[in-house]
Amino acid sequence: MPEVEYTTRMALSREVVWEFVKDMNNWAPMLTGYQQHEILDETDSVWTLKGDVGILSRVVKLQAHVTEWIDRERVVFTLTGLNEKVDGGGELVMSDVVADAPPPPAPRKRWFGRRFLDWLARRMFKRMHGDGPKRLEAGPAAAGAGGPTAQLTFTLRMDAGGPTGPLVNAMLGPALLPAAEDLANKIAAHLERVHLRTDAAA
Amino acid sequence: MWFRKTTRWTQEVDVVVIGSGAAGAVAALAAHAGKARVAVLEKTDKFGGTTAVSGGVVWVPNNKHMGEVGIADSFDDALAYVTRLADGRSDPALIRRYLEAAPEMLEFVEGATPIEFRALGRYPDYHPEFPGGRPGGRSLDPGLFDTNLLGPWKERLRRSPVFGMTAMSVTEATDWGVFSKPSALPFGLLAKRFKQGLVCYGGALAGGLLKALLDRGIEPMLGIAADELLIDDDKVVGVRARQGDKEILIGAKRGVVLASGGFEWNADLCRRFLGGPLTHPNSPPGNEGDGLKMAMALGADLGNMAEAWWCPSLQVPGEEYDKRPLHRGDFATRSLPHSVIVNRRGQRFVNEAHNYNDLMKAFFAFDPVAYERTNLPAWIVIDQQYMDRYALLTYVPGMPVPDWLTRADTLEELAGLIGVDARGLTATVARFNRFAVEGADPDFRRGESLYDHFYGDPEHKPNPNLGTIEKAPFYAIQVQPGAIGTKGGARTDGDGRVLRPDGTAIPGLYAAGNVMAGVTGAGYPGAGATIGAAMTFGYLAGRHAAARKE
Repeated sequence: MPEVEYTTRMALSREVVWEFVKDMNNWAPMLTGYQQHEILDETDSVWTLKGDVGILSRVVKLQAHVTEWIDRERVVFTLTGLNEKVDGGGELVMSDVVADAPPPPAPRKRWFGRRFLDWLARRMFKRMHGDGPKRLEAGPAAAGAGGPTAQLTFTLRMDAGGPTGPLVNAMLGPALLPAAEDLANKIAAHLERVHLRTDAAA
Repeated sequence: MWFRKTTRWTQEVDVVVIGSGAAGAVAALAAHAGKARVAVLEKTDKFGGTTAVSGGVVWVPNNKHMGEVGIADSFDDALAYVTRLADGRSDPALIRRYLEAAPEMLEFVEGATPIEFRALGRYPDYHPEFPGGRPGGRSLDPGLFDTNLLGPWKERLRRSPVFGMTAMSVTEATDWGVFSKPSALPFGLLAKRFKQGLVCYGGALAGGLLKALLDRGIEPMLGIAADELLIDDDKVVGVRARQGDKEILIGAKRGVVLASGGFEWNADLCRRFLGGPLTHPNSPPGNEGDGLKMAMALGADLGNMAEAWWCPSLQVPGEEYDKRPLHRGDFATRSLPHSVIVNRRGQRFVNEAHNYNDLMKAFFAFDPVAYERTNLPAWIVIDQQYMDRYALLTYVPGMPVPDWLTRADTLEELAGLIGVDARGLTATVARFNRFAVEGADPDFRRGESLYDHFYGDPEHKPNPNLGTIEKAPFYAIQVQPGAIGTKGGARTDGDGRVLRPDGTAIPGLYAAGNVMAGVTGAGYPGAGATIGAAMTFGYLAGRHAAARKE
């Protein structure tokens, strides 16, 4: 299963980032190839994206289901193709960065193995503690010594099924990292534009 | 525009080729072989033109590889065959020239490029039972091509939206049952080849031609759109082109070869010239008749303007290629068992498995009383048996049923959903089902020809093209009038020189491929007849231009 991870940083507090990220309506239009989205209920939504599949551009409808929700820390979701045999998921993880922290990790593509163990652990946790997203309160964000800096990591994985799965995965792989970068960078750019401009004006 | 002696060329070569499909690439190689300095202009940002998105097959009668598959051929047979299919729309001398020169062109291309063609012994001519037709061997497979050989040009090779992701040669596709057993294709191997950078079909042909150009130091000039031929003393001496907002003047001491493709993406030209509506072309959107308009501006004579390489087309909503809607030519859906095509009356009107070029003409049948085309719109109707076994556009058995298919539990309900007469449809299907059981179609002779069988299911009995439509749910998709390209354009002589209405040649101007008046007239002799003719006249034009005195 192709999986990618991309991390970006913003000179903003984690609370600011969370206030934006917690409402899907804010950032769904920033998804690469966004056409529309529909909120079905508290945990489910349908995303319609026009994505490049290899050489051509195709419309894909995905149902997103939030499986884990920790305020100011992370949102974990699964993706299920409605018009294509494709499944996947992702995470948006927020954290604080201290002033002397090393630079964010380089964007990476990775195989599913390690992530599968994470996922399995979460599934086992859910089985023991019930289904549905967990809304957990995280502790107050710690600002870096030089001012608040938040880190946003976006992980995305997609797996095409059916007989053509191996071929579709070969084509999807190269498209995932740009999609993850695009979303994380757009969120960061938007928030910095709004909040840093406001701060400067004040 | 008249060239003035004071004009300063941006660049000056011996031969300018406009367009980078097979016609243009072979013209450039032939001109180079004739010691000419060559420039290849391509208006899009990718090399390969229509060729690169095609099946990449080259139709060459009497070719040297036919013996390898045990099929004999002769010039006379090929001449009789093509002459009949041309239906009087092509100059007999030009047909002869094509058939004489095509094997020579093949020798030249195989010597100049890394392409090793292989005869497709089981790919029949499109009318194999006609006098002079053959059951296979005239169509040549370019095999696979490793794009890594192109270095930085790898990303500039145009990729087919349909074939560009499945690197299997035409030979393999045939052996593996690409139409009849899609679920059994080795998708793991295809994924590996995709990652390795291997391409097939038209990508392999265009890739091999590009490699040969690069090996000779000819770097195609991408993103440069020629829009006017420059003349001096009645001779074509150069081209005015645009690169964005910048004007470029390129001198051509010995000649200009138009190889810019057809006009199928130019709705105005299609309306004015074609014999039927062409709303869903299958080619890259850059084919807007640029070369045709340039030739017309110089008073070129035209021919075959009502014709196209017609192809019934299907569309998956939302699919795009080069930012325009993608129209996929349909080659097999209508030929496999458990499918029919009906008009709004719910009636069949043609052998659905017939070759795509000639089939499309039945869609244009005109009712003079109603003053309308009887068979447009039309729909392919299939049942669950089809969906359980065969592919349809992006669908392969085992995947979710696409939402772009109209679906119903009964034929009556399906008819209502697509606006077709329900009684007509149920009666048609009942009659067709009897034919399917008997294995013969006395109405339209579907499943009689070897050609029909090629696109059928060889394991389906008693006829590989006939299967009942009886298992719910039932499905329908509209068939649209499409074409691989138009094939009307500037009339030429046997050296590819563009002619005036009085039969004299316009000095320094050549045409090859879909911008020239097609040598096969109304007909489509076999798989690769488009590219075979394009490469042959590209070869003749490039060679003649190189030999011209300045």
